Amino acid sequence: MKEIDQINLPEDLKYSEEHEWVSTDEDNMRIGISDFAQDQLGDIVFVELPEIGARFGKGDEFATLESVKAVSEVYMPVGGEVLQVNPELEDAPELVNADPYGQGWLIEIKPDEPSQADDLLDKNAYLAMIKGD
Amino acid sequence: MQTNADATTPLYSWHKANSAKLESFCGYHMPLWYSSVKTEHLAVLQAAGLFDTSHMGLLHISGSDARELLQLCFSRDLRACCRGGRASLSNGRCVYGVFLNARGHVIDDAIVNQIEKDQYLVVVNACMAPLVEKHLLSHQEDRRVDIRDLNEQFGKIDLQGPKSALILQQVLADPEKIFQSFPYFSFKGMFADCDSSEVRLKDSTPLLLSRSGYTGEFGFELFVAAESTEALWKTLLAAGQDLGCIPCGLAARDSLRAGAGLPLSHQDIGPWPFANNPWTFALPMNSSGQGFTKEFIGGQALLELEDSPHTLAFVGQDPRKVSTDEQTTVSDESGTAIGRVLTCATDMGIGWRQNRVYSINSPDRPPDFNPKGLACGFVRVDKPLKPGAKIMLHDTKRHITAWITEEIRPDKTARKPLHEYARSS
Repeated sequence: MKEIDQINLPEDLKYSEEHEWVSTDEDNMRIGISDFAQDQLGDIVFVELPEIGARFGKGDEFATLESVKAVSEVYMPVGGEVLQVNPELEDAPELVNADPYGQGWLIEIKPDEPSQADDLLDKNAYLAMIKGD
Repeated sequence: MQTNADATTPLYSWHKANSAKLESFCGYHMPLWYSSVKTEHLAVLQAAGLFDTSHMGLLHISGSDARELLQLCFSRDLRACCRGGRASLSNGRCVYGVFLNARGHVIDDAIVNQIEKDQYLVVVNACMAPLVEKHLLSHQEDRRVDIRDLNEQFGKIDLQGPKSALILQQVLADPEKIFQSFPYFSFKGMFADCDSSEVRLKDSTPLLLSRSGYTGEFGFELFVAAESTEALWKTLLAAGQDLGCIPCGLAARDSLRAGAGLPLSHQDIGPWPFANNPWTFALPMNSSGQGFTKEFIGGQALLELEDSPHTLAFVGQDPRKVSTDEQTTVSDESGTAIGRVLTCATDMGIGWRQNRVYSINSPDRPPDFNPKGLACGFVRVDKPLKPGAKIMLHDTKRHITAWITEEIRPDKTARKPLHEYARSS
């Protein structure tokens, strides 16, 4: 378990209150779960991802992460169409723990309304939320 | 179940200082894991793991009628429970069994250790010592028995895994003598009120060392005075560091015991008749299998039982689990609902190959075997099912396929002889 000040939160991502991150620097957006979320869940032993081409609205469940302790849903921080799913996770689900913002990404989407990301939290707001401020 | 609000073990400060994910278990703040459950689970299969199990209960039962009271209340026949039923419980031996109420329902499971013929240590589950003590006292009548709850006086550390003996050999005074004639389910030494414990650390700390555990793997349980627990923990970790020994939490303990086919009291066995389950070896069956070799509390109810659900082990097709709440159901191959799920965990050391389950310790495992783990546990269903029978488990989120099995994780090491793991002098 990490202390809050050990949690890695890149500056250039947006975060949801359900602990997903979104990269917003390109037209297509990558989505994953935060370092805080992976640390809370413990070892991820199985990842269920959607089909390429599937469409989800903002807030819809799109994936499940099987940790040793529980099965957790992952929700769309921004609605859109799934363009890619991370093919590495089928054989190496532990990448979500080891590198949640890099090799442990979950899906890439074409957002329906990119401006939905504006409502998400920046690093400082997300950090304040997980600290319980 | 009774719970202790905000109880801690002698190792609580160490767990906090070492970034354990802590969770309340029966009122105790216990480590769920430190860095990784999977790493901890695999360490016990391949090297060694240390578990803080000081939350367990311990009763000291003594007096000239102590054995008679245990014969009445404990499910094993102490006259014939060792060496496959051929020998009685003797000094330095321990035995697993259950305490039942008059209806044949489980109050708790326990390991009874015989120190002397009139002196026993009974290890029960967290928070259960007061209930078991009350049960024993309710059947004491005029028997000369003294029962003491040692809850505050001891710490307990389980050292489990194939490197356990090598670690003990570094920390014990005179390990060669202790390891001579030390079979599975025997113990040596004492941890309190004792000047003459035959088991001591090199610094002369006395301990009770038992060749038992709750993982299905080779290992030991160590009982020590509460104030010596943290020092023992640190000594074992330091001695085991180069052998791959790491601290392990309750999550790995649960996934290891589920894969080993061992029940969790109040989850897999509990307030229902102790029958038709994988653990009825703990009943004193006679040679015909139709009756018992002794009379004991709960025995008559079990003999009169007409029908009772069947508790069976299962193994899934991949690591995906279902929850174990009351909405989770079990169906048979035809889709008929037949029962509920008691335990569902992921054993991370096993996987399917060519229609059979291998462990990372299986000597005949395929050369490229690198399993992702399999869901496993126990179901309670209203009809008997044979090994290999296919079932479906349904919770509100998913449906998983599983098969009834007699053994979940093959090639376990708990019963292997000590000399296979110790360094010969």
